[in-house]
Amino acid sequence: MASARTDLMQGTLELLILKTLARESMHGYGIVQRIHEAAEDLLKIEDGSLYPALYRMEERGWIQSEWGLSENNRRAKFYQLTRRGRKQLEAERANWERISQAVNRVLQTA
Amino acid sequence: MTHLFKRFARTAINFEVEEELRFHIELLRREYIRQGLSPEAAQGATLKRFGDLEHIKNQCVEISRRSHPCMRALKSFLLLVFLTGFLVRVFSADADVRQIGNMLMAVAALSRLLLYARGLSPSSFLSRTGTPSRLILHAGSQTPVAADHERTRTPVERVISDE
Repeated sequence: MASARTDLMQGTLELLILKTLARESMHGYGIVQRIHEAAEDLLKIEDGSLYPALYRMEERGWIQSEWGLSENNRRAKFYQLTRRGRKQLEAERANWERISQAVNRVLQTA
Repeated sequence: MTHLFKRFARTAINFEVEEELRFHIELLRREYIRQGLSPEAAQGATLKRFGDLEHIKNQCVEISRRSHPCMRALKSFLLLVFLTGFLVRVFSADADVRQIGNMLMAVAALSRLLLYARGLSPSSFLSRTGTPSRLILHAGSQTPVAADHERTRTPVERVISDE
């Protein structure tokens, strides 16, 4: 299968994580799986790169974490969106749509 | 004493990060085994997909350490000392008291600088600026025949609009 590795635009991974956590709290593995499912496996995130992003987002107060029990009864760290995170999601989403529209316009006219 | 506390805090953070990453790796390994890979092949595939474990762990530890409540409290305290010094310097008519204000400002600024310099290891620099996220965009044919609007949406749009 042809595949291309591309640089993720600054903030895109954060947007995907925020969106994924908007539904429910999840552990890191669950977040990656959900993103892969939603993107129908067209988009793959290198699993490890998720964690520094999660820690940075927690540092900024967009998400918070707590230890709990996973579906297989193991201790796992669950992340959930904070109020600030919800606002950030809206801002990032609007920003993404603006950029996406701008790029599409250029592609259609150029 | 401070050194001992820092060491203890760092070790505790280390354990926590390790436990979290180990959990992810274990689930990934089980998934590969479920898909039919041998345990050895699954281990290899897991580590390949996860990325540089040690580097990721160091990044996470560094971010946790600098956002630790004690570190935040210390930074706030230094800011308070600096502002107190500034106010003393501005509002005091007595030259000796103004000197104390200068000293407070200098001590606070130097301590903050020291904290900043100590945190400037290569790994902390990377975690501050953020390593480029690894994204693989599959342009393959596994997408089922979709509606027109579905075909025109990018994978990122599929995730963010998936209600």
